[in-house]
Amino acid sequence: MSERPSLLWIDWRLSRDPLVRETIGRFLYFCLLGFALLTLLLSGGVSRILADRYAITAVLRAEVPSAEAEGLARKAAALPQVRSATYRDPEAAWKEFLRVYPGLEPLRGAGENPLPGYIEIRIRPDRLTGEDVDLVASALRAVSQVERVLAGEEWLPRLLRAGRLASWACWGIFCAFLAGFFLVGRLQERARAVALASDFAFLAERGVPAGRLAFLRAAGAAISGFLLAAAGTAAGGGALFLSLREFPFLERVIGPPADLLLPGTVATAVLFSIGAALLCAAASLLGWSAARAGRK
Amino acid sequence: MTPGTRRILSAFLVAMVSLGVLFPPAARGARDVAAELRREKGRLLQMKEREEKTARELTEALRKEKRSKGRVGELQERLKRQKRLLSRIDRKVSALNDSLERAEKAVRELEAAHGQARTDLLRAEVVAFAGQRAGEGDLWRPSDRERERHFMRVYLAADAEGVARITRARERKEEELTGLERQVAVTEKKRTREKKVGDSLLSRQEAERRRLAGIEQEKKRKEEELKSLRAKIARMESVVSRVERQVKERERRARKSAAGKSTVGEAPRRFASLSGGLSAPLPGKVVTRFGRQHDTTFDVTIENRGVEIEAPSGASVKSVGQGEVAFAGAVSGFGNVLIVQHGGGLFSVYGRLDSFLVQQGEAVKKGTVVGRLPGSPSGKSVLYLELRAGGTAIDPTSVIPLDR
Repeated sequence: MSERPSLLWIDWRLSRDPLVRETIGRFLYFCLLGFALLTLLLSGGVSRILADRYAITAVLRAEVPSAEAEGLARKAAALPQVRSATYRDPEAAWKEFLRVYPGLEPLRGAGENPLPGYIEIRIRPDRLTGEDVDLVASALRAVSQVERVLAGEEWLPRLLRAGRLASWACWGIFCAFLAGFFLVGRLQERARAVALASDFAFLAERGVPAGRLAFLRAAGAAISGFLLAAAGTAAGGGALFLSLREFPFLERVIGPPADLLLPGTVATAVLFSIGAALLCAAASLLGWSAARAGRK
Repeated sequence: MTPGTRRILSAFLVAMVSLGVLFPPAARGARDVAAELRREKGRLLQMKEREEKTARELTEALRKEKRSKGRVGELQERLKRQKRLLSRIDRKVSALNDSLERAEKAVRELEAAHGQARTDLLRAEVVAFAGQRAGEGDLWRPSDRERERHFMRVYLAADAEGVARITRARERKEEELTGLERQVAVTEKKRTREKKVGDSLLSRQEAERRRLAGIEQEKKRKEEELKSLRAKIARMESVVSRVERQVKERERRARKSAAGKSTVGEAPRRFASLSGGLSAPLPGKVVTRFGRQHDTTFDVTIENRGVEIEAPSGASVKSVGQGEVAFAGAVSGFGNVLIVQHGGGLFSVYGRLDSFLVQQGEAVKKGTVVGRLPGSPSGKSVLYLELRAGGTAIDPTSVIPLDR
């Protein structure tokens, strides 16, 4: 019984060398895209940056004792929107203030510290929205020990809008790279289909239906695309993990490395790989179609 | 006549009156005595009128003195109060000046602090402005910038409040200072006014004191005058009384002599016939003679029934003859008097003694020391010696050898 060669990997057998080059290129590209995808996923675009820059300041009354203020900070930290709440006593506030305005130190002399203590509340990146900020600020304003809440009501909407735009821009760039991958893949598929047109004609003459051939080629591209995307994403994730471990300051922009293993991140990576497989399949079919149309 | 002599004569007058009761004088012309009595009574009346007038004047002087003393006392009291008030005012002025000084110092310090605080505030505003300009549009740290801006506002507000607080404190101090200055001015004015009042009171008190001194002098003069007048009146009354008694006695004797023979000329002989004779009671000089004498002080003629012998102070007095002590005691106007009864109605009287050396009822001989004369600053004392025979006084020099 003669072995019937699988049409699934026909391109691999007919055109090995170019396909190896393409595969390597695609893997590297998927590494890049996977790295970008995970970075965007972890950082939420620029949300983490904004969340790191933005804080609600609850200025306490002068007579509030430290123990009470710290208790209040713990309660604030327990709010679902809040990532962290840190109490700074008047002494620390005064030192920070003098660091910003060093010219005031000699003026004050032996005068007493006029500044009260405060609680700095940082919002979770994923909850950095106007509504959540309002909720937290309202909750703080209701506390009698709090004299004033500084939540940036004047500039926060602009900042959030800018953040949204920046995030969209980031995702847009990512999608553009993905689209570029699709276009390049289609061109490569078309070129390969043109180059292997005589071989495909020979198979057609021997009774292999063109549709089956195209389908099996697309299926092969999808499988390889999925594997390459999964491997590239994993490699990108590994690189990101190592980067975050190596450069901890990146955590403030991107996020903690542990977030890479969150189910949501993994599921998104899998979806990305499936999507990449579909794109590869589509590119293969479109390239086949384009080659067939050119031959006629 | 010297005042000493006058005193002696006055004493004699009184002595005569006193002894006249025991030993009435010999009879005189009734007409002379009656005329003398009328004259003396008239003078006595005049003196009494003068006494009444002087007494009224003295009463008036006393009333004035009392009033004046009351006024002086009242002025003294007011002066004391005034001094206390002035002292209080001085203390208040001193305290106010201290407070003023402190307030001025506080205002100066507050002005300096105010200037410094304002300068600091201006500099802080400059720093804040520069800081705000430098951080303007810094979107990378928006929350931090917001907090810093808020704290800068708090800082500036605290500084401004500090300046305002110092300003308010300075204004309060300045008001306090003005109030203190006003108080000092008012108190000084009050002090000047009260000082004037005090000076006025002092001058009034001095005037009242001078007036009181005048009144006291007048009162003293009047008292002395009254005292002198009363003494004169007393003496005069005594004289008048004596003269009246004499008149009565003479009348009685005149009636008696008309009935029997006279024994007057026999008295000296009876004394001379005493056993052992008579001797001088002490060596001395007779300074007051027996018989009628004119008192120039009261311008009156008195009759001495004895003599006065001047001798050294403390000299011993001896009995002039043998006999028995009939009396030893004090007699008004004669001091200590000793009477020796020689028998046969003969008596010798020793007056102005300092002490007795014999007792009543004790027998004495001629020359027995019966007493001593008193001491005196001048070293001289006087013995009163009277001799009586049958109730009639005789001149001692006629029976006893005495130095005249």
